[in-house]
Amino acid sequence: MNWRIRLTWWDKLLLALMALGAAITLVRYVGGIGSIANINDAYPWGWWVGYGIMTMIALGGVGFTITAIVEILGVHRYHPFLRPAVLMGMLCYISAIVMLMVELGRPWKVWMILVSWAPTSALFEVGWCAFLYLNVLILEFAQVPFAQLGWARALSILRTVYIPIMLLGVTLSHLHQSSLGTLLTLIPHKINDLWWSDNLPLLFLVSAMMAGPAVAILEHLAAARWLGVTLRMDLLAGLARIEAWLVGFYLAFKMGDLFYRGAADAMLSATWLALSFWVEVGFGLLLPLALLMMPEMRESRRGLATACGLVVAGVLLHRLNVAVIGLRVRHWETYTPSFGEIGVTLGITAGALFVFGWLARILPIHEEPPPHVTVHPATQPASALRGAEGVS
Amino acid sequence: MTAKAMIQDNTRCIGCRACMVACKSWNDRPADQTTFFAAEGYQNPRDLDANNYTNITFHEITTGAKPDWVFGRQLCMHCEHPACASACPTTALTKTPLGPVVFNESRCIGCRACMQACPFIIPKYDYENPAPMIHKCTFCSDRLEVGLKPACATVCPTGAISFGDRDDMVAEAKRRIATAPGTYIPEIYGLEEVGGTSVLHLSSVPFAQIGYITGLPKTPMPDLTHRWLRVTAPAFALLYGVFGALTWIVHRRMRGQGHDGETS
Repeated sequence: MNWRIRLTWWDKLLLALMALGAAITLVRYVGGIGSIANINDAYPWGWWVGYGIMTMIALGGVGFTITAIVEILGVHRYHPFLRPAVLMGMLCYISAIVMLMVELGRPWKVWMILVSWAPTSALFEVGWCAFLYLNVLILEFAQVPFAQLGWARALSILRTVYIPIMLLGVTLSHLHQSSLGTLLTLIPHKINDLWWSDNLPLLFLVSAMMAGPAVAILEHLAAARWLGVTLRMDLLAGLARIEAWLVGFYLAFKMGDLFYRGAADAMLSATWLALSFWVEVGFGLLLPLALLMMPEMRESRRGLATACGLVVAGVLLHRLNVAVIGLRVRHWETYTPSFGEIGVTLGITAGALFVFGWLARILPIHEEPPPHVTVHPATQPASALRGAEGVS
Repeated sequence: MTAKAMIQDNTRCIGCRACMVACKSWNDRPADQTTFFAAEGYQNPRDLDANNYTNITFHEITTGAKPDWVFGRQLCMHCEHPACASACPTTALTKTPLGPVVFNESRCIGCRACMQACPFIIPKYDYENPAPMIHKCTFCSDRLEVGLKPACATVCPTGAISFGDRDDMVAEAKRRIATAPGTYIPEIYGLEEVGGTSVLHLSSVPFAQIGYITGLPKTPMPDLTHRWLRVTAPAFALLYGVFGALTWIVHRRMRGQGHDGETS
């Protein structure tokens, strides 16, 4: 099979950003984290963990969400979203690991987590689950290149173990998406009342589920626009309905939790934190929910892109609010992400997008509709794209 | 071995900072360039950092008729139930039977979870080091093992630092408050905070006025995460079972409806 692609301007831009990220990382390894980052003793995690780990893993939730819809709930209509979702999940988790390689003080010792026994540590659980789940994602996705390479024996092994492996992946996702929230339940005195809750684990889990279909819809719109994939507006509209339910459920859960623990007053305080909360809820939940409830928006590319883009941005702001912005610190302590911090994450994100675009052009990631479905004219015969079982 | 503890009696502190010097020498920390700081206190350095495991904070407070200097002290509290150790994914931090919360640098991956977890904001990071790890007061664990006092407790010229068995120290702190109620506020910082600590602070003014973090819960911090983490294994089994059953039912029904039997 042919691994080569013709680089477009987009590819070149992504490669340039990757080079920028790599250059900044080099500086970090020579001069220390302080030479490129503004993280400090009051804000020890900052943008790298808020975006590069917490948001990246939440967006990687697209893998388990779509897998659960298609394989466990058996809604096979959405099968065309499965392979892109698994690939995106895999790339998000790899991105988070690359982020760790820059962000951890001693990344070459990260395997220590796997040989330790620290059941009291949420990070220990996150580490184990994320490690196992990445392996699951690789096993799930490997069917695609194996089918393409004609490795029949390896492929048949993967197909045999597919169902138990797939179930393991969805289960592990529930555990570690929630344990990222558990990590932060430890510091009620440090996180503003607007965001700290006993239920952070469940809020993290549900918001990751909510991010899933939004990311899948955005990916499909992007693939239709830039990769020549046939736009399946019928499927997108259906997935958008599911998304509306998920956004509505998360919103109700989040607000219910806030009122239940008696922190609703904090919403009305005239502070920057309350503003950040309202941006998160207003632009990240209320507005997209309103858009997704309108049938004409669910059937328009622009409406879907806006609504789902807002949901993803809202998840990002939530993770930043909990882990960075909402931290209560002494009044002289401040934090603004540095150029170096943002540059590294730009490089990692660009890397994930580049690899996705590359694989999407050399492997049958996107399933074309069977001939009897009348949508936009198919660009390739559907039979050519029938590969493996499972993620096929 | 009985658990040890230390009393930091701020009413006896004269701000000479001999404890800081002794700490630096015993722990072999280099001197660093500092700048004068006048936001919360007037101390220099302004806060603990990778090279300063303890710090005397200076506060100008009006007690009675005229302003006076009141000192506070920053150092690891050595919690009975340390949040940092519970958060560490590699067990680099552990509570020893003698009381110290010790740091094993060979296990540290530099994830800063302990910094985020610590209710007293104690562990610090060396940001200029290409292979950074955390730094914090060790309670001179190595000295305690051989029956010596912590370095800071040996040098205090006014007896502001007392060291002994925790039970004795708690009794002593209570005795001091009871015998001189005019000198002390009736509060032992560290007796109940986050489930108790191995360092007990006494003061003549409310602790919030001398830079201490107040309003902490009386229950151990690790309880908060334990409530969730202890259900990990049952949740795993339950979810796997439920998802498996659901998959089986859905696929069986679809086969019944005449769909092909493929699982994909």
